[in-house]
Amino acid sequence: MTDLLLQCLVAGRHAAIPASDVQSVIEIEEITPIPGTPDFILGLTALRSQALTVIDCSLALGLAKTVAEDDQRAAVVEVEGHLYALLVDAAYDVGEALSQPVAVPGGFGAGWQRAARGMVETESGPTLLIDTSSLIAGPMAEAA
Amino acid sequence: MDDLLADFVAETREMLEASGGEIVAWEADPSDRARLDTIFRFVHTVKGNCGFFDFPRLEKLSHAAEDALSECRAGRREADSALVSAVLAIIDRISEMTDAIEAGEEFPEGGDDKLIAALQGSDDIVVASAVMSEAEPANDQHVGEADGDAGSDNESSAPKPARAQAVQRSIRLPVDLLDEVMKGVSDMVLARNDLSRRLREAGEQPTIDGPFDRLSTILADVRAAITRMRMQRLEHLFSSLPRLVRDLSNELGKQVMVDFEGGEVELDREMIEMVRDPLTHIIRNAIDHGIEGPGERLKNGKREIGLLRFAARQAGNQISLVVSDDGRGIDTGRLADKAVAAGLYSQSEVDRMSDRRKHLLIFEPGLSTANEVSSVSGRGVGMDVVRANIERVGGSIDVVSKPGEGASFHLKLPLTLSIIAALTVGAGSQRYAIPRSYVEEIVFGSSSNVEFATAGDRRLVTFRDKRVPCLALGDILGIDEIDDAEWDSKTLVLIRLASDDVFALAVDRVFDHEDVVVKPIAPAVMETRLYAGTTLLDDGRPMMLLDLPSIATNRLHMGEGRSTEVVEEEVVETGRKAVPIMLFAGLDDRKRAVRLDMVRRIDTVSREAIDIEGQRAQAVIDGSVFTLLGLEFGELPEDRCRLLRLTDGESEVVYAVNEVLDAADMDGEIIPSQYDPLIEGVTLIGDSLVPVLDGHALFARQRVQRRTDEVLSCRIPGDSDWARTILEPLVEAAGYRIAADDGEDADVEIQLAEIAQPEQSASARSVIRLTQDPDTAGADGGTIYRYDRDGLLAALKQARLGRTA
Repeated sequence: MTDLLLQCLVAGRHAAIPASDVQSVIEIEEITPIPGTPDFILGLTALRSQALTVIDCSLALGLAKTVAEDDQRAAVVEVEGHLYALLVDAAYDVGEALSQPVAVPGGFGAGWQRAARGMVETESGPTLLIDTSSLIAGPMAEAA
Repeated sequence: MDDLLADFVAETREMLEASGGEIVAWEADPSDRARLDTIFRFVHTVKGNCGFFDFPRLEKLSHAAEDALSECRAGRREADSALVSAVLAIIDRISEMTDAIEAGEEFPEGGDDKLIAALQGSDDIVVASAVMSEAEPANDQHVGEADGDAGSDNESSAPKPARAQAVQRSIRLPVDLLDEVMKGVSDMVLARNDLSRRLREAGEQPTIDGPFDRLSTILADVRAAITRMRMQRLEHLFSSLPRLVRDLSNELGKQVMVDFEGGEVELDREMIEMVRDPLTHIIRNAIDHGIEGPGERLKNGKREIGLLRFAARQAGNQISLVVSDDGRGIDTGRLADKAVAAGLYSQSEVDRMSDRRKHLLIFEPGLSTANEVSSVSGRGVGMDVVRANIERVGGSIDVVSKPGEGASFHLKLPLTLSIIAALTVGAGSQRYAIPRSYVEEIVFGSSSNVEFATAGDRRLVTFRDKRVPCLALGDILGIDEIDDAEWDSKTLVLIRLASDDVFALAVDRVFDHEDVVVKPIAPAVMETRLYAGTTLLDDGRPMMLLDLPSIATNRLHMGEGRSTEVVEEEVVETGRKAVPIMLFAGLDDRKRAVRLDMVRRIDTVSREAIDIEGQRAQAVIDGSVFTLLGLEFGELPEDRCRLLRLTDGESEVVYAVNEVLDAADMDGEIIPSQYDPLIEGVTLIGDSLVPVLDGHALFARQRVQRRTDEVLSCRIPGDSDWARTILEPLVEAAGYRIAADDGEDADVEIQLAEIAQPEQSASARSVIRLTQDPDTAGADGGTIYRYDRDGLLAALKQARLGRTA
């Protein structure tokens, strides 16, 4: 079992994104807002000649936005042919998953429950494994 | 070799390759319906293309095969192994003929009839490979060996190696590869831009600057070439259509004219190939079923010559292509009967269908409204193939039809990658792109010939006698609200949609024209229905491309694709024709002109009948009081004053002149004037420039009382925004007065079919009913589609004639 995970901090909690989904981790300098879109879509940013849709992970989970720090890091993922930059509070190392994702009785709490595949053990303790495609669907998807 | 011919050969060969597997599979199981359909489509497509290129032998073969297969599809015949063999023999023959065409050789005569006869065949006929039969004596009962391998022995008379393939000048590449190269070049351009910025910062360095400039030039060339690799102007496709239309219409004894719009739209070569066939089928259908013969057309009061119109527009990652004819429209009744006859739906299901749903039956497999099978269309194939092809590339097709007026097919095709000419505009602190094909004109809100008005909450703008709805970009995007006072500072971009609807988009600034590479956007962003794609600015920042058709649909209920015609359309057209005007000398003796239509009569009154006090100037004529204009140019004469009585159809003003000079035709353009608000512009009459009075401004500035006598009144629904904003101006322009809501007897009443009618307290002499649905229009006792301008005006006129008669 050698699933690699990108460990990061989302809304102040430890979370992980499957490393196989992540193309790269970038620092976001400038975001062009897109008026009319839901809150969690911050806008567009350019990576070389491609435009990435920037998603604020905390808002996409339906949680409060954490105060942006200077160094805004984002994981670049591709879902259904579109590129997204998932903005996280902080991005750490890539680590190994020590267990299969498992459900926790009682769930992970509102917001988290929808976008999490389960809890995995890592070297730095239990971490929530994020499901990227549910994450980018945003908090509204559940209601719809 | 001709480009188109090369395309045909390449396409046929590609389809042969693709269907190779299908054919084998079909042979194994002749009852497999899906395989049958695939092969059927192949021969059908070949047949279509042959008709176009004039290959009678190929056409005959494929037509025969298609006939046989369609019998199977209709369930009238079992696909047995004899039939499979016969069809395979024909497909082999098609393949060989295609080779011959490519090599520019004549294919040996004969043998075709035999192949065709085999299709009809009884069980004991088995046909071997195609080429064989030619060398064989006429022996119908010949039993051949296994399929496929028999041909070569008998071919010594026309050895294959002799048919040396022409040197290949083109290769076919996977589009993915081109995409990758294109992306690489785009990245290179951005890297170059970055480098260029750093070089500028570093100051002048002759040893580096020279090579760098060369690099830039090369890069620009490469970029252009790569772009060209993928793109093709739609013209390329359009250019082949007139011939097709001509041939088809000759064959069918009809006269058809073709009209194109949007040939400059570029799209993926791949996509052009994808739409070629569907388009051909649609044209066949339109000419065969839609457009009537010349006699029938004349009888129905139409022009003898039918019109087939193609209009293409690009919006972000979609191309919309509308093919419309002015024929008899889709015969829903017959379509429904056929659907029942073919067992697709039960009678009760069909009875429950709306007209619109019935129109869509045209896309069902195995349906046709033609009673006789012609070689052109009408075997119930075509439209189902068309839809299959278009949906396969992720597009969609829709049809709108009006009985007696024609049908139009609306194709929407996606673009994976495209370059479009765009206008960049600013709203708030950001830039947005608008596809330039939509932009009709750009005017400043502060310009004197632009006037804003409100009707309900809808803002309207009047420009050159056109009154169109106006939207503010900032408002649409929800980034700022506009105060009334701010409108003057905006720039208006007049947008004309593919449906010919016009509206004005108010933006903060217009920046530039540029060619942009449009990329698709994430579904969540797409859901806003505001954007069609994204693109990168030169400095690498992203910019959103606005989806104007969706915005218009959402905000103004203008439908792209609906055969709507906006109120203003006709005004523009007449403006371009010769307009009769009256020339006069103003009080300052300078020559001016006024549109003759506005002049009701010329009056001469004594000075006493005129009363001027401060800003107020009025004249009394025949006991009525009129506002007097034209005084700013000089003093009134002492005794008798000549006055032009001008009317806008409802109210009147008088305009003081020294002398009436002449009447003339204004056939040139009016050059708009920025400086004098009362002047529409200047035009050339003879050799002299003459200012033309702006009738709109004249009446807009005066609060004149309505002349209530002789004007017919019309009551419109008071509780409908649409009626107030769109309908009212039209009705007024037609010379009607809008009746007070209740309690007044109106000459005409317009009702909306969708709104339940309250019990009227007052009566109206005649009633016109409008509907939102073009399909139900005309269905029950003269309901008119709400954007059917001609129909509505005719009805209003009818009411007027009824009264005066």
